[in-house]
Amino acid sequence: MQGSRNATKAIEFKSGTFSATTAIIRDTNAMHLADAMHALLGGRPDFFAGEPAILDFSQLQKLPERVDWPGLTSLLRRYRLQPVVVRHLPESLADSARKAGLAVLHGDESLKTVAPPPAPQTKAAPVEPPAAAPAPSIPSTPKGSMLLDRPLRSGQQVYARGADLVIIGGVSNGAEVIADGSIHCYGPLRGRAIAGAVGDNSARIFTTALGAELVSIAGVFRTFEKGLPEAVAGKPAQIRLVNEANTQQIRLDPLVLS
Amino acid sequence: MKTVVVTSGKGGVGKTTTSASICTGLALRGFKTAVIDFDVGLRNLDLIMGCERRVVYDLINVVNKEANLHQALIKDKHCDNLFVLPASQTRDKDALTEEGVEEVLKGLEHQGFDYVVCDSPAGIERGAVLALTFADEAIVVTNPEVSSIRDSDRILGILQSKSRRAKEGREPVKEHLLVSRYSPKRVEEGEMLSYKDVQELLRVPLIGVIPESEIVLQASNQGTPAIHLTGSDVAEAYLDVVARFLGEERELRFVSYEKPSLLKRIFGGA
Repeated sequence: MQGSRNATKAIEFKSGTFSATTAIIRDTNAMHLADAMHALLGGRPDFFAGEPAILDFSQLQKLPERVDWPGLTSLLRRYRLQPVVVRHLPESLADSARKAGLAVLHGDESLKTVAPPPAPQTKAAPVEPPAAAPAPSIPSTPKGSMLLDRPLRSGQQVYARGADLVIIGGVSNGAEVIADGSIHCYGPLRGRAIAGAVGDNSARIFTTALGAELVSIAGVFRTFEKGLPEAVAGKPAQIRLVNEANTQQIRLDPLVLS
Repeated sequence: MKTVVVTSGKGGVGKTTTSASICTGLALRGFKTAVIDFDVGLRNLDLIMGCERRVVYDLINVVNKEANLHQALIKDKHCDNLFVLPASQTRDKDALTEEGVEEVLKGLEHQGFDYVVCDSPAGIERGAVLALTFADEAIVVTNPEVSSIRDSDRILGILQSKSRRAKEGREPVKEHLLVSRYSPKRVEEGEMLSYKDVQELLRVPLIGVIPESEIVLQASNQGTPAIHLTGSDVAEAYLDVVARFLGEERELRFVSYEKPSLLKRIFGGA
């Protein structure tokens, strides 16, 4: 835009920084990843809104002989995530990544992120805070809150980016609420609730009547195929992430409102 | 003029039956009423209203200015102040445009109509969205089963986001829940969700409960809106719905099941 004064210049170079999503890939099998992403993001095609992504291989569980780059990148693009760079990739795979049109960054220690403990139910956690985040245990303070004063109906979705989400009126089955911070739902929470969407594991979910299909905090999720525990079903509840036996687990507690 | 959409998301729940009975009920109360079939390509309303043999022009003809409203509106055979605007059977739903629908509604207002009832097609596509775009009030027809409830919920969301009222930030479309094909016996036996369950899930004010009845099929075969079958449960329930729609208080009927008494069982039902 600024280049309009220099309309004669066909190209200009400027340095700058931009934030990108880091996808920490622990398993390169495209099928496994597709399953994990589907479980995490519910097969929603536009979760990422075209954000650029860094593919981080520092936590690979085993060294694969080859990686199906076209399969991997098209899978990420299906969720509108644009893979541009790979890093911490074993040397044996670097060439194939370059051929697939990805830039290869070598072990730049300053970029290294401390990854949170692996989510218990997932093989891959594609949503991680941007590279600069030092330690995941420090809660990223949400900038404010987003208020929604109508019920959210099946098929509707709301994302409170960088904020808490307050819903008055409830969330129907088949609807989805996502917040980078906590979710407060005054009314029945029946759809999917995803708090701490970019990795804040201190985020919580509160509701006056729990009936959720899925709850997730910082990528750790829980579904309720066999129904909700009786202590919380249809009752006021609070959902948070706790450390138990070295794994992070979703915990559901009744909320006493007196 | 008030525009009322009868919608549901799911098909086969009783939208057209409800549209026919509600527009008739409003006309019987003395309001000049039009009912528009938005189900372009399928065309059912004229059958239910019993005017299929008098269809010359349709909604698409009016939208495309191949006919004027006066030519296309079919006067109902029972009520003098009720008119049917049928859907086209030969065109596809893409022939319908938002501007075209708006113009038709303006034309109806100009002709002094009090109510326009829009019979929505099933689904959440163009036809269904256009049927609800200009609505002031919405009657969401739901069967007491989970898939119908889910689809009604979806359509309520679309109502909140795609209606003119929502887009212009005016007072939201007034929503009414109509539970249809209700069987108190099956509810009693635990085979069917109760109307209270449905309402609890959708959180929309209940305007009525229509019992499941063979009368409905009979009425549609005859081309007579069910509300005309005086004395039947369904007709009574629809009369109540119209009364509640006009702001009157009516107690809910036909929602509880009474086991047939011993005498009835011995001597057969009345």
